[in-house]
Amino acid sequence: MTPASLPVLVILPAYNEAEVIAEVIADIKRVLDCPIVVVDDGSTDETYQKVRKAGVPVLRHPINRGAGAACMTGIAFARLKKHPYVAFMDADGQHLAEDLIPMFERLQKTEADLVIGSRFLSENHQIPVIRRFYNQIANILTNTFCQGRYSDTQSGFRLLGERAITGIDLYQDDFSYCSEMIIHAEQENLQIVECPISVRYTPYSLRKGQDFQVGIKTAFNFLWKLLFR
Amino acid sequence: MEVRLFQWIAPILVLLILTNNVLRYYRGRTDLRETILSGALWIGIALLAIFPDEISNFIAEILGFKSNTNAVLFLGLGLVFFIQYRLYRLQVKNREDLTKLTRSVALLNFQDEEESTQ
Repeated sequence: MTPASLPVLVILPAYNEAEVIAEVIADIKRVLDCPIVVVDDGSTDETYQKVRKAGVPVLRHPINRGAGAACMTGIAFARLKKHPYVAFMDADGQHLAEDLIPMFERLQKTEADLVIGSRFLSENHQIPVIRRFYNQIANILTNTFCQGRYSDTQSGFRLLGERAITGIDLYQDDFSYCSEMIIHAEQENLQIVECPISVRYTPYSLRKGQDFQVGIKTAFNFLWKLLFR
Repeated sequence: MEVRLFQWIAPILVLLILTNNVLRYYRGRTDLRETILSGALWIGIALLAIFPDEISNFIAEILGFKSNTNAVLFLGLGLVFFIQYRLYRLQVKNREDLTKLTRSVALLNFQDEEESTQ
C-alpha cells in the first residue's frame, strides 16, 4: 500500500514512550507520507534515542512539563516553520494514522479550523467503561463552558488548520489543555468540527493517560485557572 | 495604662523591619508597591501590639463578632488565606515561566542541531 500524501505535520507529544514509540512512528509512515515531529517531554527512558534512531526530528524538553506544554511546543514549532496543518496524535499507539485522512477531508470540506477526532462517534467503539465514565464527566464539565456540544472533549487526536495554529495559545501544562484548546478556539471564533475515529486500546495504552486521581487534579486545575486566571 | 513587654518588643521589631524595607527600596531590591503593602502590614501589626484591646474591640464591633478574640482569630485566618493565595499565584507564575523557558530551550536546541547538520 502506498502511503497517502498529506500536507500535515504530525506531532507526537511523548513522555516515557520508549516501549512503543518506534512502532508508532513506523505505523504512521506506513500509512501516511507526511512530516513527523516528536516532542519529547523530558522522558527519563530511551524515548529520545528511539525516535532519533527512527529518523524523526525531536523537540526535547529538558524537563517534564506535561502534555499541554508539549502540545504548545508543537504549535510553537509549527508557527516557526510555517506549517499550514498540524495533527496531534497520542504517542502510546492508541490512535490510527489512517483516521487522519478522513479528518483532513472533513477539515477541507467544512473549512473548519479544528477537527477533533471523536472516539464516541465511531459506531463500534470499544472504550472501557471506566474511561467512558471519566470522559463523560470531562465532557459535561467542558461543554458547560462551551457554546457547542462536543462528544469527545478529551481526545488527543486533533487536526489544526492555519488559523487555529496562529490563534490558539495553551497555558495549561497538564491534560486539561484538551478542554482549554476547545474553549480558546471558540473564543477566537474558530470553527470546530468532530470526526469519528477508531481507538486501539492495548494494556500499554490503558496504563498511560488519565486515571481517576489525575482526572480530579486536572478538573480542579482547569476550573481554578478558568475562574481565577 | 499598663505597658506589657510585647508592646515594647513588637514596635521596635517593626521599626527595624520598616527601616530595612525602605533601605531595600532605595537600593532597588523591591518595588514601591511591595514596600507600601508590606509597610502597611507591619504598621498594622505594630498598632495592634500597642493598642491590642482598643483595636480588637473596634474590629469586633465593625464585623459583628461577640468578642475581640474571635475577631483577631478571624482576621488571622483571613491573613493566612491571603498569604496562601499569593504563594499559589507565585507558584503558578513560576510554573508558567519554567514552561516557557523549557519550550525556548527545546526550540533553540532543535534549530542549533538543524543548522549543524546542514
